[in-house]
Amino acid sequence: MNDLNEKSLNELFEKFFDDEQAKSFAEDIQKAEQILRGHPAPEPDDMLIANIKAEIAMRLPAERARHFRRMVYKLISIAAAIVILATISVQFLVEDGKKPREVSYASLIPAAIWDSDDITADDENLAIFTAEIEEIEGEVLNLESGEDTGNGNRTITELEMELIEINSDFWKG
Amino acid sequence: MAESDDLARIITGCKNGDSRCFSKVVDMYASRCYGYFYRLTGDNDISDELLSELFVKLVEKIGSYKGVSFESWLFKIATNIFHDHLRSKQRRKKLLDVLKKQLESEITEHKQSDDEQSDKLQIRLKTLDTDTRELIMLRFYSQLSFKEIAEIRSEPIGTTLAKMHRGIKKLRQVMEG
Repeated sequence: MNDLNEKSLNELFEKFFDDEQAKSFAEDIQKAEQILRGHPAPEPDDMLIANIKAEIAMRLPAERARHFRRMVYKLISIAAAIVILATISVQFLVEDGKKPREVSYASLIPAAIWDSDDITADDENLAIFTAEIEEIEGEVLNLESGEDTGNGNRTITELEMELIEINSDFWKG
Repeated sequence: MAESDDLARIITGCKNGDSRCFSKVVDMYASRCYGYFYRLTGDNDISDELLSELFVKLVEKIGSYKGVSFESWLFKIATNIFHDHLRSKQRRKKLLDVLKKQLESEITEHKQSDDEQSDKLQIRLKTLDTDTRELIMLRFYSQLSFKEIAEIRSEPIGTTLAKMHRGIKKLRQVMEG
């Protein structure tokens, strides 16, 4: 013990007490240690020491097993943490590596016209479709205003069929 | 230096569960720890129990020892064991009725006076309060520095020194007066 010697004790006491108090304290300490050394406490019984050693030897295997279990639990929890972290990291990496999602648009113009480079032909087709639609539109208006003299139901059915046909042609290009 | 190397080797052995290393630790510290318990309790049987408990705790806790001063660590456990003993003694006292208490104290006083006739110090130590007695005994039996003692007691070193100063003065008075 480093502060048992008088010099270091004095140095320590001087930090907390004035000179006289420090001197008196150091003297008291020395005297008290002499008193305690002069009145030694009884020694532990040999039988007690033997019993303690036997008890320790008996407890050690159980303690080792407990220590082993603790280690296993620790390892399992570390492994679980690593697996969770790895799963999360892999998910992030996969997300990062993916191509950006393509936005799908509903095509309003038939693909054949859209992809075609023949602008003149496309214009002609569009002009024909527009004319046909305008014609049908006119017939529908006539029907609504009662100008049609024939069988109205049949005319409407015919118009509907015509419209379906045009629509189908239009989308086919 | 060689002594501390030996101790380090012994402690490593204890950590590996070597019973011979534990036996060495018992041989090295049993006497000092027993003296500490005896001076605080004044009773051989209780000191026997507390010493056994200390070494059982040592086996359980050696894995958590992190290489600070071994004496400091061991006496910290000893101090805690003594405090637990005081608390359980307090609880037992509350449970006993007045008659039982009177009877018990008569018996223990009689028993202790037989033991203590040959030990003037133990009788005089009773005039000191438990805390002061504990502090003086910790210093003497653990041989720790005041700094380490202050750490064990979780108090500033100045407080430890002031208490020690008062306690030792009183001890000198009762022993020399």
